[in-house]
Amino acid sequence: MSAARRAVVLALGALLFAASEARAIDTCYNCHRNETDERLVGPTRNILRDIHFQKGLTCASCHGGNPADSEATAMDPDKGFIEHIDHKSIVKVCTKCHADAAYMKHFNPRPYIFSVEEFQTSVHAQLAARGDTKVATCTSCHGLHGILPHTDPASPVYKTNIPRTCAKCHNAEYMAGHNIPTDQFERYSQSVHGRALLEKGDVSAPACNDCHGNHGAAPPGVSDITMVCGTCHGREGELFVKSAMKAGMDKLGKRGCVTCHSNHGVQHPTDAMLGVEKPGVCGDCHPHGSKQDRATAVIVGGFFGLRDSLTVSDSLLKTAEVLGMETSLGREAWKDAQDHQVGIRAGLHSFDAAQITGALGEGLELAHKAASQGRAALKDWRNRRIGMALSLIVILFLIVLLALKIRQIEAGQKAPGAVSERT
Amino acid sequence: MIGRLIDWLNGRLGLDTFRELAEHKEVPIHRHSFWYYWGGMTLFLFGVQVATGILLLLYYRPSADEAYESVRFLMTQVSFGWLIRSIHSWSANLMIGAAFVHMFSAFLLKAYRAPREATWLSGMVLLGLALAFGFSGYLLPWNQLAFFATKVGTDIPGSVPLVGHFVLVFLRGGENITGGTLTRFYGFHVAVLPATATVILSLHLYLVQRHGMSVPPSVEDAGGRPRMMKFVPSFALRDAMGWLAALGVLALLAALFPWELGRKADPYSPAPAGIRPEWYFSWMFQTLRMLPSRILGLEGELVGVLGITLAGLGWAIVPFLDDPQGRGRRARVWTWVGIIAIVYVLVFTWLTYRDVKR
Amino acid sequence: MKRRDFLDWLIGISGTALGAFVLYPVVRYLVPPKMPEAATRRVVAAKKDELKPGSFKTFPFGGQPGILIRTADGEYRAFTAVCTHLGCTVQYRSENRSIWCACHNGTYNLEGGNISGPPPRPLERFEVHVTGEDVVVEKAKGA
Repeated sequence: MSAARRAVVLALGALLFAASEARAIDTCYNCHRNETDERLVGPTRNILRDIHFQKGLTCASCHGGNPADSEATAMDPDKGFIEHIDHKSIVKVCTKCHADAAYMKHFNPRPYIFSVEEFQTSVHAQLAARGDTKVATCTSCHGLHGILPHTDPASPVYKTNIPRTCAKCHNAEYMAGHNIPTDQFERYSQSVHGRALLEKGDVSAPACNDCHGNHGAAPPGVSDITMVCGTCHGREGELFVKSAMKAGMDKLGKRGCVTCHSNHGVQHPTDAMLGVEKPGVCGDCHPHGSKQDRATAVIVGGFFGLRDSLTVSDSLLKTAEVLGMETSLGREAWKDAQDHQVGIRAGLHSFDAAQITGALGEGLELAHKAASQGRAALKDWRNRRIGMALSLIVILFLIVLLALKIRQIEAGQKAPGAVSERT
Repeated sequence: MIGRLIDWLNGRLGLDTFRELAEHKEVPIHRHSFWYYWGGMTLFLFGVQVATGILLLLYYRPSADEAYESVRFLMTQVSFGWLIRSIHSWSANLMIGAAFVHMFSAFLLKAYRAPREATWLSGMVLLGLALAFGFSGYLLPWNQLAFFATKVGTDIPGSVPLVGHFVLVFLRGGENITGGTLTRFYGFHVAVLPATATVILSLHLYLVQRHGMSVPPSVEDAGGRPRMMKFVPSFALRDAMGWLAALGVLALLAALFPWELGRKADPYSPAPAGIRPEWYFSWMFQTLRMLPSRILGLEGELVGVLGITLAGLGWAIVPFLDDPQGRGRRARVWTWVGIIAIVYVLVFTWLTYRDVKR
Repeated sequence: MKRRDFLDWLIGISGTALGAFVLYPVVRYLVPPKMPEAATRRVVAAKKDELKPGSFKTFPFGGQPGILIRTADGEYRAFTAVCTHLGCTVQYRSENRSIWCACHNGTYNLEGGNISGPPPRPLERFEVHVTGEDVVVEKAKGA
């Protein structure tokens, strides 16, 4: 082939390629992006980033119509075009693909298949079925005309954005007229979970969906709460489920963990929560002087005893460290004691007095060991000073003796210092 | 029995020569005799350094991975390790202080006059070696302070044109401060510098014995030859008293102000605030910091380095610049130079600490 | 005793005392301590038959707790016991052959890899050698 012919073939190829590319976004997008009416041009703004568009779907995939037709006839309702997909139809449109396992496998060998069954357990689905159009549907959370995967930090359902997305509806204004609490987001953002997720960016902290579910969003049932919290707080959950406390709470219809720790506004538990006296939470149900109060008096006493012992030994060790003494053995014992304390804090949830008291005893022993190491270090420091003082006394004494010796020697000679006149 | 042993040794080693030298050695007595003790004090403290240094060698590990840990091990697990280490660190400072006192007093008393020029020059070399000992030893514990102080300290010679970069790479064993620098400094500190110091020190001591103690011109002018005291036992016993006092001071400092371990060096962290080299370098450091960034078209720091180097060289060749008898107008000028130098060093050292405290 | 001899005698005694004050620390110093090496790179974590297969122990290592595990097949594994999430001390659960952190249910496998729960990073792994009666744990080369 001659050079000229080759150039023509290449140029044609490029044109065809460009044309086919253009065709993929051409029909709806190319007209609508030049519109001035916000209703018409709005959807085109972020559509190129939309994950559906990226995977090769088009406007027609959801709205129907004829993608090959670049005239207004493309939008013929008789040919299946839906201009505005109304609130209650959205789920049908989305699940057409997302609930179809075989179809989703084209895009991902391990796809997430939307479960309509799960969705129908949610409060959102139940209210929508009754005709409520204010309730959340797919696009309320995932966005529209610019949907991003949940792993993209810009997505409204990315982990750290989820609380705010839920709060878009779950606030006092939007929920006016409904009989449900509206302070969840406020409480959550002040909670230990909220601070971890929203302020520190710790994505291991739970957002709304971790406890309430995603598409099956519903408040956990009374008996389920322990399972929900126990998913992450495994040890506490394990112990609590077997405890007499849980049995008692179930009988009274109390809500497990929430009773003492609250739900949305959960704070980092403090040792002050122990006991019947305020700010102890036990007193919320068990009055002063009750059988339970007496039974746990020993535990509460022992617990605070361990805490004080840890503080005392820590300050002893710190004093020794500041003075420059070696404290690693003491620090090891202290860390062991502290580990015990962490274990006991979890172990409290067994509400088993014998077990807890035993662990407290061990912890106290370790704390005492740490304290005695600290005291030994301080004693060593004092010994150094004594050694120094003694050696200084000997040195000073020797200096004085030498001065006397000098005087003795020089007095024995004709004049102070042997005088020798060199000639 | 001990007498028989000494006789045997004497017959083999010829110790009598030394005994005669010692018995004949005399020291002039006058109102400036106090300054004669400072050379011996420096020597004593150097001896302490050698002894404690050798002991430290038994536990110290000169690699970036293990240096800090070995010092911590020494301070915490080894019996009296804290004492040996603190004495070594404090005695280093006292030794350099004593060396400066010895040098300044020799300068002002014009002990460098003929025939003692070589003594003076060898002494200047010894001072340089002492500073090198201090600089190289400071890095060995491999803590944050030492690491960054060494970085700053080696940056400065690096600023000299032509040879600066080569000197920097030579000192650091590379472009940056690494484990290679530590190994190199260790080699300097325990082998190269001690060997050199032994040779120069032997020369210095020999020269002092050969020429005897210098009498300052003012004393000679006042009353001819002064009274003399015998080195053994009068001067030696007084020397011993001074050394005992120094030992006591070291015990006090080691027990009351133990040398700290610091935090292990982290090359990737930013330099700690207030980083500066040890006090005996701080007057130079402060001078460089206070110079404007450009002087006569040259970089300020470079002018400072060159200026200090020239001043040091001038100081070193003072025997050849001052009046040979140490009298007359020229001699008075040089005395004033000495006084100004002392005041300058003191003021600028003080300024460093005042600035850092702020 | 004449005054002169008395003074000499006193100087002798004091000098000897001073000598003792100097030599005693030096002699004690020269005797190596029980642990000949700083326990930051290697430490004796246990005796050879101290751990039964399927059990574990925590041991101090460089100021932090370490965990020594003897798996059901008798093999030793050692890791730092400091959970990479919030620093709690981990333990071994032989029934799932996994390392578990009681604080927030973090789990690691026997390679130290973080396999479930909040821990963001694996546990640092140490080398284990059995020499004679001792099970020695050492920081990995290049660590």
